[in-house]
Amino acid sequence: MDDHVITVLNNIGGFSFIALSAYLLLLSGEISFGQQAFYGIGAYASGMMTAMFGLSFWLALPLAMIVSGLAAAAVGGLTLRLRGLYFAIATLAFAETVRLILVATTWQVEVDGEPVGPNGSEGLGNIRWGFDNEYEPVDFLWMIYGTLGIVLLLFFLMERSRLGSIIRTIGADRLLAETQGIAVTRYKILVAGLAGALAAIGGAFYAHIQTTVYPENFDVMLGVHSLAYGLIGGLGTAVGPILGVLLDVGFLEAVEWIQGYRMIVFGGLVAVLLIFMPRGILDERRIHRLRTALRGRRQARTHGAAGA
Amino acid sequence: MGSGYALLAIGFTLIFGVLRRLNLSYGPSIMVGVFFGTFLFLQFQAGWYAVLLATVLGAVIAGAYVERMCFWAIKKGAAVASMVSSFAVWMQLEEAVTIAFPDRTYEFPALGDFELIELGDLSVRQEHLIMLGIAALLVFLLHLLLFRTRFGLAVRAVSEDPDAALFMGVNTGRTIFLAFILASAIGGIAGYFIMATEEVITPKFGLQATFKGLIAMMLGGMGSVPGAIAGGLLLGVVEKQAEWYAGAVWRDIAAFLLLFVFLIFRPGGLLAQGTAARELAALRRV
Repeated sequence: MDDHVITVLNNIGGFSFIALSAYLLLLSGEISFGQQAFYGIGAYASGMMTAMFGLSFWLALPLAMIVSGLAAAAVGGLTLRLRGLYFAIATLAFAETVRLILVATTWQVEVDGEPVGPNGSEGLGNIRWGFDNEYEPVDFLWMIYGTLGIVLLLFFLMERSRLGSIIRTIGADRLLAETQGIAVTRYKILVAGLAGALAAIGGAFYAHIQTTVYPENFDVMLGVHSLAYGLIGGLGTAVGPILGVLLDVGFLEAVEWIQGYRMIVFGGLVAVLLIFMPRGILDERRIHRLRTALRGRRQARTHGAAGA
Repeated sequence: MGSGYALLAIGFTLIFGVLRRLNLSYGPSIMVGVFFGTFLFLQFQAGWYAVLLATVLGAVIAGAYVERMCFWAIKKGAAVASMVSSFAVWMQLEEAVTIAFPDRTYEFPALGDFELIELGDLSVRQEHLIMLGIAALLVFLLHLLLFRTRFGLAVRAVSEDPDAALFMGVNTGRTIFLAFILASAIGGIAGYFIMATEEVITPKFGLQATFKGLIAMMLGGMGSVPGAIAGGLLLGVVEKQAEWYAGAVWRDIAAFLLLFVFLIFRPGGLLAQGTAARELAALRRV
């Protein structure tokens, strides 16, 4: 594989995490415009841990997830009262505050005679863990897709579990969920925290591949993109958001003549798609139909075997 | 500055009021208008009235496109889809302008050469006073339009309850479209006066206009015109104070932090007495 393909694949994998993070919140009925904050916190936290304090990436990744998850749970707790558009705007305000505070923050320590650490809009550079340990982009590719595979597996397990149906119930009708005896508050905070931790994984990988991250990497464009991925790909399955990422980063990146007009094409695509499929390509109904179709064939086969 | 924010917020609040949906493309459509205006100025040295007209026209055309694409075409009840779709169109508009105006930063004609007015220790820019006056005039006209005409009655009826308005013989689709056009025109005027004070435009103006208008509207309370004015003025004052004491970055931090804190402790906005119940009902519809 040449380097360009690997870079594109790495991008697809990295964005998948934040897309899944926004998707998880969508399932619970919340639209967040602020998941980029937790992606950014994940990137900065993990980058600072490896670059400034010499931690291993494998230790920094879970720590960054915890930091980001706690922050997200705190925000989720504060914004519990808000619904719909209000929640979306509150998360947006939070994310922009985080981004701008990163712009205003400088904190550097000496590492090998060089100052390392967040430096305002100059960003956080010198995240050399991958370089020092001789990790090639291909190695990151395996790491990202390995992690993504685990996350997807967890998603599928969750969707089949009690937790999955609780989250979807809350998303469909909060009042109904409450009358069913579900502790909605607790689950909302849990989901917010999980989504924050999920976004942090993408951020951590991003920081260690790029080696330098800037506050402007985590602006509202990233947040709304991650939300759009779920809405394009479909809200019926965890594969939906990844399909959305594939369409944007994969397809539009790959087609040369679109380059200069990428946003126009992507924007138009999203707008038209949402007119005809407001819940995305792989929405619940299509997933259900697919599933019954598959099951039907399997049943037909077993029946046939029994008959013979 | 606050009066400019107030005007932006009024446009926002009008759209939200009739539709109960958020139009993120509001700022970018104004940005399209502003670039129309500057194009006329740079190519033909057009006078201020032509530039103002072009700005409003551009904003209205872009606004109409947004309405057809993101709101008219998307079914009732899919407010989220509309919001995301309006964001998608925002990206389209921003890139289209960037392609048409590749230098990114352009000059915008100033209102004129004005001297600072000294009021004791204070010095005030005359442009800001003119903007305040225009804002007050527009608010007055808008008030007349909303409370003294059939169209205004229709707008208020749709914002109260679209289904009931439809049963009463209001052409809701047309009312929404016209309210959209009206909001875009107000946005265009706001955009013109803000730009004529700043004298430099970039495609990033779309983002700023959306954010400032949005923050001002939410501070005041969604869907309320007096609230939008109060929110705009409050935002202007807070931003200036933060900039004065802590620097330019803190200006924006203060704005977003203010919004976040407001949403947590007073989600209905400044003027939320008694409207809380109606807001909740509206939210259920969203």
